[in-house]
Amino acid sequence: MTIRIETRDLGKTFAVDGRDMRAVDGVSLAIREGEFVALLGPSGCGKSTILNMIATLLPNSSGEILVDGQPIDRRRPSRNVGYVFQRDTLFPWRTVQANIGYALELAGVAADERRERTQTALAQAGLQGFGHYYPTSLSGGMRQRAALMRTLIVQPQILLMDEPFGALDTHTKLEMHRVLLNIWEREKQTVLFVTHDLGEALTLSDRIILLSARPGRIKEEFTVDFPRPRDAVTLRETPAYAALFSRIWHSLGEEFVKGAQA
Amino acid sequence: MSRLTILLWQVAIALGLAVVWEWGYSLHDRLPWLVPELLDPYFVSKPSAIYDQFLHASCLVDKRGIWNDWGNGQFSKCMARSENNLWVATLITLKNTLAGFAVGTTSGFVLGLALGRSDRLTAIFQPFIVAANSIPRIALAPIIILAFGLGDASKIVTAWLVVVFLVFFNTFEGARSVDRDHISAARLLGASEWQITRTVIVPSTMAWLFASLTPAISFALIGVILGEFIGAQQGIGRMIIEAEARGEAAGMMVAVFVLMIVGVILATIVRRVQNHLLRWRPQSAANL
Ligand SMILES: Nc1ncnc2c1ncn2[C@@H]1O[C@H](COP(=O)(O)OP(=O)(O)OP(=O)(O)O)[C@@H](O)[C@H]1O
Ligand SMILES: [Mg+2]
Repeated sequence: MTIRIETRDLGKTFAVDGRDMRAVDGVSLAIREGEFVALLGPSGCGKSTILNMIATLLPNSSGEILVDGQPIDRRRPSRNVGYVFQRDTLFPWRTVQANIGYALELAGVAADERRERTQTALAQAGLQGFGHYYPTSLSGGMRQRAALMRTLIVQPQILLMDEPFGALDTHTKLEMHRVLLNIWEREKQTVLFVTHDLGEALTLSDRIILLSARPGRIKEEFTVDFPRPRDAVTLRETPAYAALFSRIWHSLGEEFVKGAQA
Repeated sequence: MSRLTILLWQVAIALGLAVVWEWGYSLHDRLPWLVPELLDPYFVSKPSAIYDQFLHASCLVDKRGIWNDWGNGQFSKCMARSENNLWVATLITLKNTLAGFAVGTTSGFVLGLALGRSDRLTAIFQPFIVAANSIPRIALAPIIILAFGLGDASKIVTAWLVVVFLVFFNTFEGARSVDRDHISAARLLGASEWQITRTVIVPSTMAWLFASLTPAISFALIGVILGEFIGAQQGIGRMIIEAEARGEAAGMMVAVFVLMIVGVILATIVRRVQNHLLRWRPQSAANL
């Protein structure tokens, strides 16, 4: 199978108060076409940093990043790659539908087609009737769904997601997992999904890459072979889920302790 | 407190002030310790006289105090007699205020945006801006009149001068504080540099620009009046100076009242427009 995202010995050093701080160290990973990979690790271990380097938002200090076999070009981010932020980054001065249609507008898609595709996206995200609202008058879950659709509307084949549901309550989060899994089952994008929530990683992914506490290195990898399509709620009640959960939990717990001491 | 109670209090206070203004000074000879000298109608006139003066200055009544007829041309004859009658003066002042406001906010916005987004330009121009900003703008008004003459141009330039810095500093702050994640999001969604400027930097800076528009329109009016004080042939400011030269307190007061009304109307319009354009803001912030 083709490799769509690859990093070789990727590293990042930040200068903090005149001293060098190694945030990411020697990360080599390869993600196959159509694979859903979760990047799991304690807070501050460099998950966002890795993702941002792949997304061209941040220059890397060492190593290589290849998307579809090509070294990435920081000046021209690939149109094939979509990015969903950890923070809410909807444009507050645009209505929900204007936010979702934004990328189409940039690409010069005609107004009619834009409206049609935006409406479809709104329906897909369960946001019918909210197109004319401004983001500030939506709930956090609705905003995150809108943000997801803003990225998905141009149908990127590769998705980089940075804890997109991190700020949501458990119930809303499970709802979002359902929405995301539905879309992914249909489109089979290649996904790199950052999270520090083990349950989320198990629900969504085919493979979990566990990072160590800072500096972020790959500590261990786990294959998540639960059958698909998955249901975010009932999956959690299966013994296979519980078994894998406790196995990874132990390994992850060590890193949380280290992270807290650092 | 209910709205009605509030309204009643407001009417009562206004009436009370008017009564003191109208009749207060007649008590001066008997109670000199109570009635301040400032209430002398020679300085501040009184409501009835101001109303009379308004009717005359606006050509609504003739010299004998009889209502002018529109049909037989009395009104237009009266209007033609004075090149700076109340209507013309108001119109001129209003026109120059709006022009100064438009030029001031546009140039302030463009400058603020350009410098706010360019560290290099900021580094070069910072000392000049600080120096220029520390000059009391009023001090420049006589020079502007000298350079641009007694007509409209000098008033527009004065208004521009007081508005441009206000808008510039607001826009500059706004342009600096554009959310970097918004810019990143736009770039990753395929926006070119120019598209980022147009669809992210300008709209998010606009919010800061709007915050400065209400003070800016008031400043513009101040600038125009100031210019008219120093040298003008027409305008409300000119009316005030003329009335002062003739020792006509009522004439000055009419002009002041007209300014007040113009000021309130302009500020209300700007606030309405601003609230509409900022409707995407959380309610509490937009209604400030
Ligand atoms: N621009 C920066 N300058 C200096 N240090 C930074 C910068 N960005 C991140 N860091 C540091 O690098 C480390 C990794 O940060 P990163 O944001 O990648 O963590 P994370 O794993 O995404 O954490 P979280 O789960 O809390 O989002 C942190 O210690 C952080 O303080
Ligand atoms: Mg992060």
